[in-house]
Amino acid sequence: MKILKILIANRGEIAIRIMKTARLMKIRTVAIKTILEPNAMYLSYADEIYDNTEDVSEIPVFLDIEKLISIALNTGSNAVHPGYGFLAESAYFAQKCHDNKIIYIGPSPDAIYKMGNKMIARRLALKNNIPMAMGSEGNISNEEEAVKIAEKIGYPVIIKAASGGGGRGMRIVRKSEEMERMFITASKEAEKAFNDPSVFIEKYIENPKHIEFQILGDQHGNIIHLGERECSIQRKHQKLLEEAPSCALDSNLREKMGSMAIQISKAVNYYSAGTVEFLLDSDRNFYFMEMNTRIQVEHPVTESITGYDLIEQQIRIANGEPLKMKQEDVILKGWAIECRINAEDVQAGFAPDPGKIESFSMPSDSYVRVDTGIQAGSSIVSSYDSMIAKLIVKGKDRKEAIKNCKMALDKVWIKGTKTTLPLFRLIIRNQNFLDGTFTTAFIEKDLEKYYYNSDYEEMLAAWLATKLFVEENLQENSINVDFENVREMSPWLLNKRITQF
Amino acid sequence: MNEKLKIDKLYALSSENKKFSFKLPLKNKIRIGKRDYIVQLRSDEKLGMYILWKNRKYPVEVVRSRQNKYEILFNDISYTFTVETPFSLQRLKVIRSGKGRSEQESVKAPMPGKIIDVLVREGATVLRGEPVVILEAMKMQNEIQSPVNGTVIRVNAKANTNVMKEDVLVEIKVE
Repeated sequence: MKILKILIANRGEIAIRIMKTARLMKIRTVAIKTILEPNAMYLSYADEIYDNTEDVSEIPVFLDIEKLISIALNTGSNAVHPGYGFLAESAYFAQKCHDNKIIYIGPSPDAIYKMGNKMIARRLALKNNIPMAMGSEGNISNEEEAVKIAEKIGYPVIIKAASGGGGRGMRIVRKSEEMERMFITASKEAEKAFNDPSVFIEKYIENPKHIEFQILGDQHGNIIHLGERECSIQRKHQKLLEEAPSCALDSNLREKMGSMAIQISKAVNYYSAGTVEFLLDSDRNFYFMEMNTRIQVEHPVTESITGYDLIEQQIRIANGEPLKMKQEDVILKGWAIECRINAEDVQAGFAPDPGKIESFSMPSDSYVRVDTGIQAGSSIVSSYDSMIAKLIVKGKDRKEAIKNCKMALDKVWIKGTKTTLPLFRLIIRNQNFLDGTFTTAFIEKDLEKYYYNSDYEEMLAAWLATKLFVEENLQENSINVDFENVREMSPWLLNKRITQF
Repeated sequence: MNEKLKIDKLYALSSENKKFSFKLPLKNKIRIGKRDYIVQLRSDEKLGMYILWKNRKYPVEVVRSRQNKYEILFNDISYTFTVETPFSLQRLKVIRSGKGRSEQESVKAPMPGKIIDVLVREGATVLRGEPVVILEAMKMQNEIQSPVNGTVIRVNAKANTNVMKEDVLVEIKVE
């Protein structure tokens, strides 16, 4: 059976990303219209739209396995692409697709299950001699046990959710007094996020780099890697800026880590695209962290330097085709940086800032790629993540990529919500970033504030405030500002008034 | 005599107490060193409101205005200014010199969300940076921290309740 029609079990930029490749491959696509985003941009990329706006259930359709299967069957889709997030790493969903003769574009349910369960993944890694941080042998059931094991390993330790990922259910503990509280919060958070309160403990590697390897495997036992991604720039385990390759690796270390990544993938007979995450310490020791059994948000940086379309590879692999390239065919060329532009207020602790995007314009230079599900008039809804766009910039080397990134960031125009743009403008000027010496502690430790403004920006803003004041007060022949009377003015009205002169 | 005649300058004071002064009547020119640069406030359908300065367009938005206080979003960064006349600035100086800083701090919700956990009780002493409330928003749990060292005098936040942005969660008496 060949893939003829794909149900996109996702939304936003990744839905568009998948549909773009499907179109090139002449495969039809079905997107799902929801009540939360009935006018979303991703819908315009689909060949067919399944209208699910009548569905008012609390669970988003993208998390509703039964519903998705029935939509696939009803629309005659013989394949499903889960994207990332939602059901992208649900072994049960993958199995359900198989049971219903729907091709799941991703790895086998068995591989998803084994890598999804961090304890099983740990045991597999140990068995295959993959370097790992010291840790508990199994899940930990109570605070006393947690304290005992942590004493044995030595603080600091990290508590992780057995079924976790994406930073949720994770807590770093530096002394035994903190253990009880941290154990309880981690376990509670794990239960809420993953329906599984079990947690385990690992030695916490201080200030490492987060390096991950992109894997491609087919259903005939061939597995290769497409080099690494540097994802150390993160906040609370949420990645903000990624690059490929990493300046921390030379070809020796790349080969060593890459072959380890392949080895752990082979242990679960992995096929499709996957990512093996490592921590790299300052002595260039690396430790296996986890494997993500899905396409990742940051996959474009790998595509930019290898030339491979990872979605196309996923579809071909799901079709049963063998990989056309061998490890030696993979050549890393140039440098790519991705900035995740989110609707977040970097001046208020990265608080999500949902809202309507009033105007939106992205650079169109040849070195820029933009993956987005947003256009002017779109809304960032608080039920979903806060991503507005991924800005991917390329250069012939790191220096040029950074230079291009600087220019591209100044050409991004987003109005309506606050964004992480000022943060990226700061990062690409930071010395530790330029040197490449940054670690996962970069955001918390190397930065004093989270935004960059050029010399005159504040002064220009002050000029505008003064201009508004003059407009409101002085021109009416009176300077007697009414300090007692609190008066709110609608920004909309104010805008109107200013634009009139 | 009309007071207006006496005003020849306005000051925009930033929240960090930076002072920017502008001569009246306000011109579309700003002097940097020995040169004047033209600054223009413009607007069009596609970009909305923007400022044109040295051949570059900067997005601007007036987020809030109340009395003489303005919150401006300039190139994705928020700035808050109070605009003062020479007289009101003088008055402000007198007021400020007579009074210390506020003795009470409110911990407000930085975003709408759901309270997951309240970590302090009334009467508890807290240190700056200590988490007081866990707030879940957009699927992420956020620790809301105390901005000051002090004593908790009031706890408004309740676990499993929803809060709006700017809702006061905890009030702290500053030490």
